[in-house]
Amino acid sequence: MTTTAQSADESRLAALIVEALNLELAPQEVDPGAPLYRDGLGLDSIDILEIALVISKTYGVQLKADDADNARIFGSLRSLCDHVQQHRTK
Amino acid sequence: MHAWLEGIGVIGPGLKGWRASQSVLAGTQPYFHEPVSVAASDWLPPAERRRTGTSVRLALAVGREACEHSGRVPRSLATVFTSSGGDGDNQHAICETLASDVRDLSPTRFHNSVHNAPAGYWGVATGAMESSTTLCAYDASFAAGLIEAMAWVAVERQPVLLVAYDTPYPEPLRSVRPIVAIFGVAFVLAPARTDRSIATLDVDVRPTVSKADLPEGLAALCEGVPAARSLPLLCALARALAAEVSIDYLDGMSVSAVIEPLRPTD
Repeated sequence: MTTTAQSADESRLAALIVEALNLELAPQEVDPGAPLYRDGLGLDSIDILEIALVISKTYGVQLKADDADNARIFGSLRSLCDHVQQHRTK
Repeated sequence: MHAWLEGIGVIGPGLKGWRASQSVLAGTQPYFHEPVSVAASDWLPPAERRRTGTSVRLALAVGREACEHSGRVPRSLATVFTSSGGDGDNQHAICETLASDVRDLSPTRFHNSVHNAPAGYWGVATGAMESSTTLCAYDASFAAGLIEAMAWVAVERQPVLLVAYDTPYPEPLRSVRPIVAIFGVAFVLAPARTDRSIATLDVDVRPTVSKADLPEGLAALCEGVPAARSLPLLCALARALAAEVSIDYLDGMSVSAVIEPLRPTD
């Protein structure tokens, strides 16, 4: 159940994530404010690496494993989308 | 080497489980080569379930059927997994990425690329902590797995689950290593007779003398998938008559399997 409406960019990113991870839910069901990791969307470390790969290929944004800001960047669909939109090269 | 057979699982084209396939394997119903798909196991938690490819789904499905047929608790069993090439789709996807301009590899693809991935997923699905072996021996993979499982029973005097599975490669790998269909088979073998025993099994390695006479259509499947080299044994078990069958092994050798049914196998 979506508690906050997704923006157009968030919808595109949610669709990308759902497809890349073969998630058993529809992209519009991803709450943009809910945590991606563990509680919330229930993702694990392999999923986060998979998301980083698909974002790199789609938006040209490199997300590094040792970035001290990762907890904030991957905090939610909204924070991840904001980061991607600010740094995208394609 | 001697063991008691307690459970059987099989999935392949036109063969949707042991119970549904017995009359076809026994030759009393005609065989039709129909593609088969396998769902991800609901024994796996969601994060693992959505990462599974065909080979893991196939291995878990036949392993589960054999366990349920035997009545054994899956996590109580040691396991032997055997496959000629593992996950053909996954290998194709990895090769495709490595041959492209952007060579960053999917961590999920990498996670699934190890040959013992199905054994790992089986452990997650069942909670099994017993010994587990995964092997391959090209076209002799089923026979090698059977020898390994029989040796486990003979030496350790503990029951074991044997799972053999193969999946086709997409092109261009398919041209150099043609595997014609998905096929998986599983047996639960035990060191002593119990009320679960359905047949005795004696296995020996010998020079190949003759090929098995299989029902129409199954001979091509037997030749076309390494795991389906088990079909002479499956067909003999389905007929529920005492028999000796020959299973392809390495370098002109065969595994001779002598079965003695104890009761109907369904």
